Amino acid sequence: MVENRPFLTFLTHAVLIIGVLFLCFPVWMALVASTHGPEALSSSPIPLWFGDRAWENYSQLLVGGLPEAGGVPIGSMMFNSLIMALVITFGKIAISIISAYAIVYFQFPFRMGFFWMIFITLMLPVEVRILPTFDVVVKMGMLNTYAGLTVPLIASATATFLFRQFFLTIPDELVEAARIDRAGPLRFFWDILLPLSRTNIAALFIILFIYGWNQYLWPLLITTDESLYTVVMGIQRMVNSGESLPVWHYIMGTAVLAMIPPVIVVVAMQKLFVKGLVESEK
Amino acid sequence: MATLSINSLGKVYPGGVTAVSDVNVDIADGEFIVLVGPSGCGKSTILRMIAGLEGITSGDLQIDDRRVNDLEPGERDIAMVFQNYALYPHMSVRGNMEYGLKNEGLPKAQIAERIAEAARTLRLEEFLDRKPANLSGGQRQRVAMGRAIVRDPKVFLFDEPLSNLDAKLRTQLRAELKALHKRLGATFVYVTHDQVEAMSLADRIIIMSNGKVEQIGTPMDLYLRPASRFVADFIGSPSMNVLDGTVSSDRRSLQLNGSHQIDFGAELPAAAGNQIAIGIRPEHLHQNTAGETRIELSVGFIEQLGADTVVHGTLAGSQSPLAVRLNGVQARDSGDSIALSCGRDQIHLFDGTTGQRLNWDNQ
Ligand SMILES: Nc1ncnc2c1ncn2[C@@H]1O[C@H](COP(=O)(O)OP(=O)(O)OP(=O)(O)O)[C@@H](O)[C@H]1O
Ligand SMILES: [Mg+2]
Repeated sequence: MVENRPFLTFLTHAVLIIGVLFLCFPVWMALVASTHGPEALSSSPIPLWFGDRAWENYSQLLVGGLPEAGGVPIGSMMFNSLIMALVITFGKIAISIISAYAIVYFQFPFRMGFFWMIFITLMLPVEVRILPTFDVVVKMGMLNTYAGLTVPLIASATATFLFRQFFLTIPDELVEAARIDRAGPLRFFWDILLPLSRTNIAALFIILFIYGWNQYLWPLLITTDESLYTVVMGIQRMVNSGESLPVWHYIMGTAVLAMIPPVIVVVAMQKLFVKGLVESEK
Repeated sequence: MATLSINSLGKVYPGGVTAVSDVNVDIADGEFIVLVGPSGCGKSTILRMIAGLEGITSGDLQIDDRRVNDLEPGERDIAMVFQNYALYPHMSVRGNMEYGLKNEGLPKAQIAERIAEAARTLRLEEFLDRKPANLSGGQRQRVAMGRAIVRDPKVFLFDEPLSNLDAKLRTQLRAELKALHKRLGATFVYVTHDQVEAMSLADRIIIMSNGKVEQIGTPMDLYLRPASRFVADFIGSPSMNVLDGTVSSDRRSLQLNGSHQIDFGAELPAAAGNQIAIGIRPEHLHQNTAGETRIELSVGFIEQLGADTVVHGTLAGSQSPLAVRLNGVQARDSGDSIALSCGRDQIHLFDGTTGQRLNWDNQ
C-alpha cells in the first residue's frame, strides 16, 4: 500500500500506537513497581509513576542476595543465565551450520537418511524428551554443572534446517568458481559460506539467545545447587516463596534486569540483520 | 598457453541421459574455439568436463599433453567465466580477483601487480573496492573476466558470458573479448547459442546437436560448406531456405513440393526418384532472372531492417517457407509474388534422409 491518503495514514498510525502502548504497559508497570516499597504494590491504587526506592531495591537485588530467592544475588543468577544462553546459542549455531554444510555439499552414504533423522527430531521439543534426557544427564554425572545445563539443549534441528534451506539457495556456480579458485572444503566454508550466512546467523543468534535465556524447566530439573540458578528460576522462586507476601518490588526489579540482556542482543544484532537484508536485496 | 586435445569424449549423467558422445577435437595453442548449438545440445557439459566440474564418462582430455581427466578443477590450470558471473558477493572486486591467487599462495607483491594490470586492461581500476552488487552487468562480467585473467591460466573457458547483457553491450564486450584474446594469445573455449557471436569471435567453430559434433571448421567453412542440413539451418540469419524435392528421372532436375521444378545444368549426385533437399541462403537470391536457378516467392510478411529487407513467404504454389534478403528498403504486399533467381554455385544439396551434404560439381 503506497497510497497517500491522510485518513488512512492517521488510522494506521493510531492502530500502531495503540498496539505499542498495549505491549509496553506491562513493561512500564514492572519498571515502576521496582522503584517502590513492598507496601505500595499491595494497596490500591497501584502507582503508575516511579517511587523513590530504585537505588535501594536494585543494589539489594544485584549484590545483596535475597532470602526469598535462596540468598543468591541476582547478579550471579544473571551470570549463569548469560553463560547458559551464550553456550546454547554458539553451540547450536556451530553444530547446525556444520551439519547443514555436510548435508548439502557432501555426498556420503545415507545422506538423506541423516537429513530426515535430523528433520524428524523437529517434532520432539525439549518437553517431550525431557525425562530420557534427564536420565542420560544423571548417568553421565552432569547434574549441577554448566555442561548439564547447556549440552542437552544444543542439538537443533530447526537451525540445521534453516541453514540447509539457505545453502540450497546459493548458486552452484559460486561453489564451482571457488573450486576453480582452489578453495578446498574448509576454505570454501570459512571464506565463502560463513560470510554469506552472516544475516542468517544474526537472526538465529537473536532467536536462540532468547530461547536459551528463557529456559526454565530444564535448569529447574538439572540444578539443585543455588550457585547455578538462572534468573528465570530466581523470579519463579521469589513468587512462590511461601511464608510471607510475594516481594513484588523485588520480583519486578528482577524481571526488569532479566529483560536487559535480550534487549541488548536484539539491538546489537538488529543492525547487522537489517543491513544484511538491505544488501542482499540488490 | 596450451594445446587442448579431446579424444572420444563422452558424458552420461547419472540417470542415463547421454549428454555428449564421441567428441574429438584438437585445439591449437592460442586458438579461439567456439562451441555453438541449440539449447540442451551438450555445450556446457563439454565445457564443464574440460573445467573438471563434471566427471568424464569416457574418453580422454589432455591439456598440453598431460591427461587431466582425474585432476581437480583447481589443478588443471584453467579459468572459467560463468553466465551469471558467479562473483563472490561479499568480497570487493579486488577480493574476487585475488581470491584464487591467495589460495595458490602467490606472494602479495605479485598478486597486487597482476590485479593492477588486469584492472588496467579491463578498465576496472576505479571499481576495485566496490562490491559486485554495486556494479552494472557489464562491469560484473568484466570483473569475472578479470578473475580469470589474473590467474594466467593455460585455457580460458567461457559459458555464455554475454547472454545476460543487452544487445549493445554484448556487441561492445564481444569486441573487447576479441581484443583480449589477441593480447593474451591464450587458448579460449567459448560456449554460446548465438550463431552471430560464434561467427564473429571464433577461429574455429564446433557446432553440435544432440550431444554430437555436427561440424568443426572456420566460420566461413560453416557458412560456405555446411556439412549437414542442421548446420545450414543454424548458421546464418535469416537461416538458409531448405526445400525438399525428388530427383527427376534424367537426374538433371528436381521436382519440388508443389508444382516447381528446378533444372540443374549438371547431373545431380543422387539416384533418380531419391528425396534430396536444396538449400539456398536468403542473401543469395536476387530479384532478377539472371541466375541459372529460378524460383518464385509468394510474399507473406516483411521485415524492414533498414539496410536491407527480409521478405518471408512461401514457395509459390506450396506451403514450403521461403525467405529472401533484398537490398535497401522495399515494399511488398502480402500475396504478391516475386520472381527470384540464384547462381548454381550458391546451391547446396543435402541428402533427404540423413541430412548430410551432397557434394556435386556446381562451380
Ligand atoms: N546434472 C545433470 N543431470 C542430468 N542431465 C543433465 C544434467 N545437466 C545437463 N543435463 C542434460 O544434458 C543435456 C546437455 O546439457 P547442457 O547443459 O550441456 O546443454 P547446453 O548445450 O549447455 O544448453 P544451454 O544452451 O541451454 O545451456 C541436456 O539434455 C540436459 O538436460
Ligand atoms: Mg549451457
